[in-house]
Amino acid sequence: MASPRPNTFPVAPLRKGIIARDMALIAVCFVLMALFIRLHWVIDFTIFCILVLSFDLLYGFMGRLSFGHVLYYGTGAYVASLVLAHLSSNPFLAIAAGVAVGAALAAVLGFIVMQTDGAPFALINLAFNQIGFWLVASGFQRYTRGEDGLNTTAGAVGFINFTNHSIAFGFLLVCLLLVFLLLKVLTLSPYGVTIRSIKENDDRVKFLGYNIFFYKWLTFVLSSTVAALPGTLFAIFYGFVAPTIISPFGNVEVIFAVLIGGAGNLFGAIIGGVVYKLMSNYLATSITRWEMLLGILLLIWVFKFRRGLTGYASELILRFKRKQGVEA
Amino acid sequence: MNLLEVMGIDVAYGYAKVLHDVSLKLQQGEMVFIVGRNGAGKTTLLQAISGLLKPTAGRIIYQGQEIQGLPAEKLARQGIRFVAQDKKVFSDLTVKGNIELASYASGEDLGRAIDRVTSLYPKFSEFLGRRAGGLSGGQREILLIGRALVGAPKLLLIDEPTEGLAAIVIEDIFRILNEMKKEKVSTFIVEQNLSIVSRLADRIYIMKEGKIIKEMADRAEIGETAGLESYL
Amino acid sequence: MLETLIYGLTIGAILYFFSIGLSITFGTMQIVNFAHGMVYSVGVYLFITFLPWLGKFFPFALALAVVAMLPVAFLVERFVIRRLYGESLDYAIIATYAVLLIGADLIKWVWGAMPQPVSDPLRISVRFWEINIPLYRIVVFLSAVALFLGLRAFFNRSIVGKIVIAALEDRPGVRCLGLDVNKYFSIVFVIGSGLAVLGGVLYAPIATAEPYMGFHILLVAFAVVIVGGMGNLTGTFISAFVLGLVIAITARFWSQAADTMVFAVMALVLLKNSLLAAWRRLTGMAARTG
Repeated sequence: MASPRPNTFPVAPLRKGIIARDMALIAVCFVLMALFIRLHWVIDFTIFCILVLSFDLLYGFMGRLSFGHVLYYGTGAYVASLVLAHLSSNPFLAIAAGVAVGAALAAVLGFIVMQTDGAPFALINLAFNQIGFWLVASGFQRYTRGEDGLNTTAGAVGFINFTNHSIAFGFLLVCLLLVFLLLKVLTLSPYGVTIRSIKENDDRVKFLGYNIFFYKWLTFVLSSTVAALPGTLFAIFYGFVAPTIISPFGNVEVIFAVLIGGAGNLFGAIIGGVVYKLMSNYLATSITRWEMLLGILLLIWVFKFRRGLTGYASELILRFKRKQGVEA
Repeated sequence: MNLLEVMGIDVAYGYAKVLHDVSLKLQQGEMVFIVGRNGAGKTTLLQAISGLLKPTAGRIIYQGQEIQGLPAEKLARQGIRFVAQDKKVFSDLTVKGNIELASYASGEDLGRAIDRVTSLYPKFSEFLGRRAGGLSGGQREILLIGRALVGAPKLLLIDEPTEGLAAIVIEDIFRILNEMKKEKVSTFIVEQNLSIVSRLADRIYIMKEGKIIKEMADRAEIGETAGLESYL
Repeated sequence: MLETLIYGLTIGAILYFFSIGLSITFGTMQIVNFAHGMVYSVGVYLFITFLPWLGKFFPFALALAVVAMLPVAFLVERFVIRRLYGESLDYAIIATYAVLLIGADLIKWVWGAMPQPVSDPLRISVRFWEINIPLYRIVVFLSAVALFLGLRAFFNRSIVGKIVIAALEDRPGVRCLGLDVNKYFSIVFVIGSGLAVLGGVLYAPIATAEPYMGFHILLVAFAVVIVGGMGNLTGTFISAFVLGLVIAITARFWSQAADTMVFAVMALVLLKNSLLAAWRRLTGMAARTG
């Protein structure tokens, strides 16, 4: 549904200075958090934020809600674990394998899944996610150890040793920044304009001569491939994966995070990811009725704060600027 | 007192304004036509009066009360009936089922409602059990008008009744509208068939690009279809 | 094998009771209603609570549970579903999912997280060709058939049913006759919810109640509705039984795959058009480059 209000984050030319500034801002914030909050929570945030960013590309920019995004995250995690367990203890190999398999899976499934839209799209992804979950928990039990989960250890490469939390954090933060950079460049490019237009109105873009199926498929593959990355990072850092990592219920967390922060501008994904994880860590440990609270908050967000924190921030900034303009 | 008075309404879809400062009136018992090219905003005007759309500015006064922005079902209960351009009937129901809904909604006795409709088109009494989706375009329009007349409405809004119909059928519609005119049913009709317009209209409004550009009340002037055409 | 088939038909019957409300809500309001699972699960837990109060008299407890949930369903429709009508699908999904989540936690809070078994109220078996079939399962199956016929009659003959059918096709047309479509869709929504509770209670003696039961049946119900066609009454009836049989038969041969097989079927159905189109695209592409 196109809203009549102009998009408050218009597509801007590729201004390298601004992107560098954004990245520096994110880096500083995360480092500060690492100093003041338990490091291993911040590591958790970082991994989650990359996942949420990947979802933002598909949902925030192209407007397609999938209930099965976590499938690729889990795939990355399991493939990486299997590589570490059976092939090599080189973590980079594990990461590469996890991402590659995720990409291949997304390429095949994306071809099928992108033929649908709306509710069927959400549900068909859920179906594939559920099938993946079952394969991991039962079907491929022989390899994945099913419900028991898979233990692995990642070896060190050069100075990058994942058992050292500070180094691990540094590595993960670099990954986050690189993913942010990649997505920022993509979304500011003509490709980005095209997928935003697809979000507004499929048919019009088609009539302009674009092969929208290709763009939709490509976005799905990119989004899912990027989702596999944090999966591999999770496997390497925690050294343990269990079927819950690929459970369809995990999609709620990602969707919620994107909603809180505001969809479609990347910052929102990061802010939402951090806020959600903070909430779930603090609240889950102190409030037993945590899920009920999450449900109530979700309702409030849908009815009152739909545009998320970044949406309201941008509105405030606009209002402030307008006031300035009037006074000047 | 006018039955209906539209005062300076604007209607917009998002940022696109479709009606600009439109004003009209209708007195009890009049049959007034609205004429204009495609895209002039005629359908939008009827939809605003019927309550399907909300004007962004201006007022609509019906029986002395402001009704702009009120929902369609409420206005229908107050006696306004709208027959849409697409000639959509409830195709999964029977002809009788279609009439039944109208009778239930208006509180009129079903038998009486059926009589009303079959008096417009006697063949309907044979078709009562037939699925409404199987009717021809002309039959559907007649069913829709019949449905709208159930419960004796006070104001009828009809959007392009003869559009897409064959000449013979158009004459049937003309006959029905003529009967309605004789019975002094207050009606606003959007119509592009100028022959019908010139034979039936008490008054005409001509619309162009979302505005009323002319009102004609003189019977002689209306009778001249050539004159009307020059305005389109 | 006959036992498996009977089991499949029983599951199918339960699925039908649950899915019909979901299907209708999608047809009338274009909304995927996750909260349907909440009404179902809370209703079953209420039934379990009422049962001992009413001297273990199954039908009374059943009726009471259904009646207790009707106002809840109405509130969900009025304050969540209706507000999201016409909006982007995502918000409806998220909001109704939130209601489901709240419901599951509520159950855990009030009743605890342990599964609750319910015993077969009839405890009679019928003999068919050397197999004992619990009479209860036959009753459940017949109830579903009765429901199907009842709903057909409702939609074809009652005025409310006709209004809903008309409004599904031409909402403005119904409004312009003076009928408040929201009110009628609301009625149908509440009926659908009541049927879900009914289905849940009928299922309780066969399965155990647990706080996340709403989620689990919802997933399968989506498959039923998609395979049967959203808003298609007859389609839902058929697909409920087909998928029930799929579950039962898969469970017989490969027990862990039972639920997942349903998704495979749903994927195939959803994609039969897409797979055909994809195939044509692929072979079309091959033809162009070749």
